[in-house]
Amino acid sequence: MSSLAPPNAVRQELGFYLRRPGLVLSGAVIVFVLLCAVAPELFTSQDPIAGVPAERLQGPSAAHLFGTDETGRDVFARVVHGAALSLRATVLSVLVSLIAGAALGLLAGSRGGWVDSLVMRVVDVLQSVPSILLSLALVTALGFGTTNVAIAVGVANLATFARLMRAEVLRVRTGVFVEAARAAGVRWTGVLARHILPNSLGPVLVLATLSFGTAVLEVSALSFLGYGATPPTPEWGSLVAGGRGFLATAWWMTTFPGLTVAAVVLATNRISRALDGERRLG
Amino acid sequence: MFGNPVRLLSATGLVLVLGLAAACGTTNAAGGGGGGDAGPPKPGGTLRLGISSNPDCLDPQQVGTNAALNVGRQLVDSLTDQDPANGKITPWLAEKWEVNADSTSFTFTLRKGATFSDGTPVDAAAVKGSFDGIKAIGPKAQLGNGYLAAYKGATVVDPSTVRLDFSAPSAQFLQASSTMSLGVLAPSAYRKSPEQRCQGDGLVGSGPFVFESFKSNQQIVITKRKGYAWGSPLWKHTGEAYLDKVEFRVVPEPGVRTGSLASGQLDAITDVQPVDEPQFAGNGFTEPVRANPGIVFNLHANTTRGVLTDLKVRQAVLKGVNRQEVTDTVLTKNYKPASSILGSATPLHLDLSKELAYDPDGAKKLLDEQGWAPGPDGIRVKDGTRLSAKIVFSLVFNQNQSVLELVQQQLRKIGFDLQIEQRTTAETQQLTLAGDYDFIWYNTTRADADILRQLFSTKAGNRSKLTAGNPLDATLDKQAATVDEATRKPAVEEAQRVIVEQAYAVPVFELTQVWGLGPKTHDVAFEASSRMRLFDAWLAG
Amino acid sequence: MTNGVPRRLAQAVVVLWAAFTLSFVILYLLPGDAVLAKLGGGEGGSTVTAADVARERAALGLDDPVVVQYGKRLVAAAQGDFGRSIATGEDATTLVLNALPSTLSITGLGLLFAVVFGGAIAILGTYTRSRLLSQFLASLPPLGNSLPPFWVGLMLIQVFSFDLGLVPALGSDGFSSLVLPAVTLALPTGAIIGQVLAKSLRTQLDEPYVEVVLAKGAGRARVHFGHVLRNAALPALTLVGVLAGNLLAGSVITESVFSRDGIGRVTASAVSAQDIPVVQAVIVLAALFFVVLNLVVDLLYPVLDPRLAGRVTAKAVSGV
Repeated sequence: MSSLAPPNAVRQELGFYLRRPGLVLSGAVIVFVLLCAVAPELFTSQDPIAGVPAERLQGPSAAHLFGTDETGRDVFARVVHGAALSLRATVLSVLVSLIAGAALGLLAGSRGGWVDSLVMRVVDVLQSVPSILLSLALVTALGFGTTNVAIAVGVANLATFARLMRAEVLRVRTGVFVEAARAAGVRWTGVLARHILPNSLGPVLVLATLSFGTAVLEVSALSFLGYGATPPTPEWGSLVAGGRGFLATAWWMTTFPGLTVAAVVLATNRISRALDGERRLG
Repeated sequence: MFGNPVRLLSATGLVLVLGLAAACGTTNAAGGGGGGDAGPPKPGGTLRLGISSNPDCLDPQQVGTNAALNVGRQLVDSLTDQDPANGKITPWLAEKWEVNADSTSFTFTLRKGATFSDGTPVDAAAVKGSFDGIKAIGPKAQLGNGYLAAYKGATVVDPSTVRLDFSAPSAQFLQASSTMSLGVLAPSAYRKSPEQRCQGDGLVGSGPFVFESFKSNQQIVITKRKGYAWGSPLWKHTGEAYLDKVEFRVVPEPGVRTGSLASGQLDAITDVQPVDEPQFAGNGFTEPVRANPGIVFNLHANTTRGVLTDLKVRQAVLKGVNRQEVTDTVLTKNYKPASSILGSATPLHLDLSKELAYDPDGAKKLLDEQGWAPGPDGIRVKDGTRLSAKIVFSLVFNQNQSVLELVQQQLRKIGFDLQIEQRTTAETQQLTLAGDYDFIWYNTTRADADILRQLFSTKAGNRSKLTAGNPLDATLDKQAATVDEATRKPAVEEAQRVIVEQAYAVPVFELTQVWGLGPKTHDVAFEASSRMRLFDAWLAG
Repeated sequence: MTNGVPRRLAQAVVVLWAAFTLSFVILYLLPGDAVLAKLGGGEGGSTVTAADVARERAALGLDDPVVVQYGKRLVAAAQGDFGRSIATGEDATTLVLNALPSTLSITGLGLLFAVVFGGAIAILGTYTRSRLLSQFLASLPPLGNSLPPFWVGLMLIQVFSFDLGLVPALGSDGFSSLVLPAVTLALPTGAIIGQVLAKSLRTQLDEPYVEVVLAKGAGRARVHFGHVLRNAALPALTLVGVLAGNLLAGSVITESVFSRDGIGRVTASAVSAQDIPVVQAVIVLAALFFVVLNLVVDLLYPVLDPRLAGRVTAKAVSGV
């Protein structure tokens, strides 16, 4: 935690991680992927867009860790360079759900009355329509492309955030400190900003980390259905989708990007699980 | 029926080989008969054919997708047939025909003995009923509506003679009469609604196969028409079709389609993706390939918009596209670079490959002369205007995106900024109709040069937004008025030359049909519009 | 939240109406419409004219003012009539209902697999005394949850159909063609069941009554399967809605990969063709299904677990 922590605490901290190799590994995966997104050239010097036709469809080797694709592009380079776009899409979609969902939940929970009823019916509708249908319709309306796919996935998932936020606001609202602040004459917006929001946001943020994994999967599923990233720009979902024609001849083209997606989802889920409970329980 | 010497020869050869094989008791019939090493065609069996999309409708008179047309073609016969080898119109249901001087009246004499699968005869009244029926459903007949745009009505002269009249010269109708879109359906079909016919209810034709069942998103089954004996003389054999049954399986996933063919779960597939083509080279599989006739994939310019009003700019774009690189890199050797605005499989196609050669220096020179100077990012600028245009496209062909990105890179080299916008099919259609585009990207399949008139004439589609009375209009009208090739050919060639010289549209590549056939599947054939003909297809034991 | 059934029903009707309206608004806002999508479709390209489009629109009543179209559709939909598909001309409700059995058969089998896999993992994981096995089993659900389903489907086809030739890759003939799609669907669903049930089992095992029953001399297995499992299974019931949604979402991908007919395929193609009647039929029927399902679960819950009568049922958070 902080550098002022006594040595004892540091040792405890270390022990916490040593007993959880999976968590450490997950952290490593995420750090690696983040680095890929920021500075892909750290990990590969090969061009993700222009291939070497003579080296097309080669299996994994020392020169091409993940093999090469049909135009001789290095699949590893494409996965590494694809991190930026894939992560941007995921973060965007989670942010859309988080911000819009939290705002709706906050509004419903703090105002109550007809506003609450109205917002919650909207949320009911969003939840009663299967999110994939909603995303499909939205992405058709917004147009193709990774950004739009991310927004569509975000909107389709915001209902859960709204519900949780509302529940938290309702819980916090009745708290003693809120009552006290109100009694002290602090204005409603002030209470909202200074007390309710900070105290109710925690679980919603945890949900946000949890939904990273699902968002990666949903964005890549829509890319797979053909609504996503535009070739030749590498993006994980479209990499898996692009290689599916080669299942019989070049398994590496789908397998490695697919495993990358799986690893990232697994890692984020593991970390969010840790954030959710394990730290508190020690 | 043995009018064709080649067919007579091969048939004789076949008989000889069969006789020899029988006499000697050997089984090796290879090397003779010209039938390849597969031996003589064998009747019977069920062909399992993987198609890429679900046909929303099966009525060939209504549909526009290949998946649907490939099914419909087997169910109906047409008045005429078109020879895929040379584009000539030949007899089928009609033995002969006469066209009046200005191509407004067509009189067909029907052959005797043909019947619909409900037993009623294919006579003049039935033909009239069928054409009236197509006209009646208007735009629901997606292709036929255009072919019959000027159709006034039909007259039954006698039971085997029918005359069709048009309000404007319609030379294209003769080719149109060979398509499945104008295939003849039985009178009973029109007692059902167009929607019912779509689902196969009342879909009664006189073709070599009969509709059996349609399970949406799953499969369509057609069976052999017993007693069929009025096939087109262009086909390889006479009598009934070889196959007992054809199952069209809807398999949207390209990988599953190719994998299923490779593992023997399907006998043939359509729409082999460029990336999958190498899988079926050799090893017993065959890969029939044919380019689509009609307008090739092109950047169609709106000559009233922005920088594209300038002829020199359009010409520079035309020179700046490296067509060979497009087919080499993004597609395969099965796809041809465009050699005109018309595909090479279109009758009266004129080879303009010289005019369409890649000439980046020529392009740069044109732009320099016009005062377009390279800006800081490499894109040229003149009087504060960037040399830039948008192109709208939809994903009807899977490789569209990659092709356009490559073209974008090529044009960037001459300092032209092509901005690519993907839209839905509906939206692209809307923008096209409204004329709201700089460039649009499309192709059109039609085995007749009149398609040029439909898309370039100011009296029809006018996709270049030209002004009425321009020289191209006159040429296009001229070719529409006659079926006589001697008059038509110069007009069509002139039109192609004008379009390329004026760069009204920038041709890029020819859409091509690529199928995969399993080791046992033989003689699945292309008809003139590059759609499927299953009459001669057969399965080896 | 036993607010009384009438009130819940009224809410359900409002939700259905809103789902109807939402789908109408989204599809109406799309640029272009179903007529353009239909007439402009096809690899052959299109030569339709603006007049053709106008005529077809008029024939379908699509040139009426939006409000009129909405009103007409709403009145008809209230009577169960969503109109005819613009793309195929079939009755939209029939179209959807025809696709239902195919979807139900893979989702049903998928759910069965999911319950068996998920249940086995959770039960074994909490029952076993081996820490290693327990940890291994606990790590399976997150894994199942993180594999992209389309990738799993393609891999299964590659191995079991193309390489080993055990089952057909496509079609819907018989049981063998159901297995791979069902497994594909079962993976993420089973993962959720496994996770929730395991958590619930652990909570139950810490309850005092377990000690009591064990002290009374009951066998460990008897306690685990008899008492604990029964009590732990109840919270899993609230997951039904989430699971159904997951299965439906999965079917869009699965049906496409395995070339099957079904709700997922119908929906995906209707959305891309902007076929308002069909999309509305799917969305409203799906909403109806979820509303009824949640209603039944909410009403059943107190019945099954008297201790919870009158208490708020824990709404399961999706994406567990």
